Amino acid sequence: MAHIPDGFLSGTVMVGTAIASGAALAVAARRSRRDLAEREAPILGAVTAFVFASQMLNFPIGAGTSVHLLGGVLVGAIVGPWSGMLVLFAVLLVQALLFQDGGIASLGANTLNLSIISVGAGVLLYRWFLALVGVGDRRRVGAAAVAAFLSTVLVGGAVAVELAASGTIPIKPALVVVGGGHILVGVVEAVLTGAILATLLRVRPELVTVSAGARPVSRPLALGVAGVTALLAMAAGYVASTRPDVLEAAASRLGLAQQESVGATPFGDYGAPASGAWAAALIGVVVVFGLGWVVVRLLARGRLRA
Amino acid sequence: MSFRHVDQYAAVVSPVTRTVPTARLLGTVTLAAGSAALPFGAWMPLAVLFLAVLLIARAARVPARQLFIRTTGPFVLVFLASAGLLVLVPGEPLFTLGVLKVSSQGLERFAFVLGRASVALSAAVILVSTTSFPELLHAFRELRLPHVVTASLGVGYRLLYILVDELERLQRAARSRNAGTGSTTRRRLLVGITAAGLSRAFSRGERTHRAMLARGYAGDVPALFSQSWDRRSTLALVMLVLLVGIVLGGAHILS
Repeated sequence: MAHIPDGFLSGTVMVGTAIASGAALAVAARRSRRDLAEREAPILGAVTAFVFASQMLNFPIGAGTSVHLLGGVLVGAIVGPWSGMLVLFAVLLVQALLFQDGGIASLGANTLNLSIISVGAGVLLYRWFLALVGVGDRRRVGAAAVAAFLSTVLVGGAVAVELAASGTIPIKPALVVVGGGHILVGVVEAVLTGAILATLLRVRPELVTVSAGARPVSRPLALGVAGVTALLAMAAGYVASTRPDVLEAAASRLGLAQQESVGATPFGDYGAPASGAWAAALIGVVVVFGLGWVVVRLLARGRLRA
Repeated sequence: MSFRHVDQYAAVVSPVTRTVPTARLLGTVTLAAGSAALPFGAWMPLAVLFLAVLLIARAARVPARQLFIRTTGPFVLVFLASAGLLVLVPGEPLFTLGVLKVSSQGLERFAFVLGRASVALSAAVILVSTTSFPELLHAFRELRLPHVVTASLGVGYRLLYILVDELERLQRAARSRNAGTGSTTRRRLLVGITAAGLSRAFSRGERTHRAMLARGYAGDVPALFSQSWDRRSTLALVMLVLLVGIVLGGAHILS
């Protein structure tokens, strides 16, 4: 449920998200004009039409279901984050008004999720990964794919929080069902973003390489951010709640909590054999970071066909 | 492909089309936001808002059958999206579906969300049925939406028909060559078509840009539509805002 329909959000959440989105779009409009000048209308018009049209193409993922491209990172990688946010907002506006896909009253929340977070966080992650792995066509594709996955998961988390804050669904099942569902959507988004970007780099490389307003993140800064992330995760280990997590709570509600687990894990309940929760958090961060790194490197070497 | 069927009641003279597009847009937002802000369980206020929407549809000469048909598609999506509420909202179990317990609170919330969505969807369908896209663009400009958004919407709208047609042609051409019969091949083919669509969108955008520059474009797309605010529009909008405000206030006091 990336596009939240009307009826799901409370008045407070609708107003709050509309104000936040409005402020972000105002900044984006100013920055976009500076980046693209008088070329902004035709370029952004073309990208708006493309995103809208491409969202009409559904990709089969099996079991009779299909998904379409969200396009946050793809658009951000081509026209830059500020213009990308405006493009996605224009698409959302047309979808809500003309096709009733996503609510009119919840347009603020949808803009926050699918325009500001999807493009803003997505491009930030994309540039961060590029700074870590270096610039090159295949690395670019890998970084975009990983950023697309993570930004989609972030969007799912934001939708879950908004639904819970509105009192529509309690936070735990919201995170499990909505947030969890976006993990699958994120995988498809990553594959589509990587594949389309790879094709684009082959046929029209100038569109990607001269993305407007691109300011590369320096490698020391990228490594510093990675270090801070690890420290934050370790600190979170100390302040983590001892109450059941979202999956445990949902399992309990569905009557599955009494069933025996399949097997023991080395870091059960986020505890490390030697040093406790902080060590488990550090190991978790390193493993996740390492997996992301491996995916990007494999994509960079062309071993995975996106 | 054409979206011209969308605004088929825009040319019909009615009390709704006699108001300015900005008033119509603001009225739709008022109805959608008003219904969304109703507290859970406020059935009577919701019914009043739904009745108001039906009356507006009648005034706009949009037949009830047409309204029903055009809200059905989006309504099905809302229905599927809200089905999870049946089992995710905690409360007294009403009945079970396998391992899933449907609670009475979940059932009530599910029905109320669908009711709120029905009001908003119907209001949106009336808006787009009675308002053409250039009129909507004019309303966006009057509401001071960022210039870049209205400008790119204006250009994007012109390119959209062409681009969707091109994507459909690419799909048809691929099918005629029996390409993409397997599932994986089909996915790859769709990716290729999408990337080709993006490349063509840029080519067309660049050509459009050159043509616009040749006609003296300097960063502003001129409005194709102009209609200034009148007393009728102000009165209609104020009455609607008052109605929604009274219904909303009453619902919150009673809840």
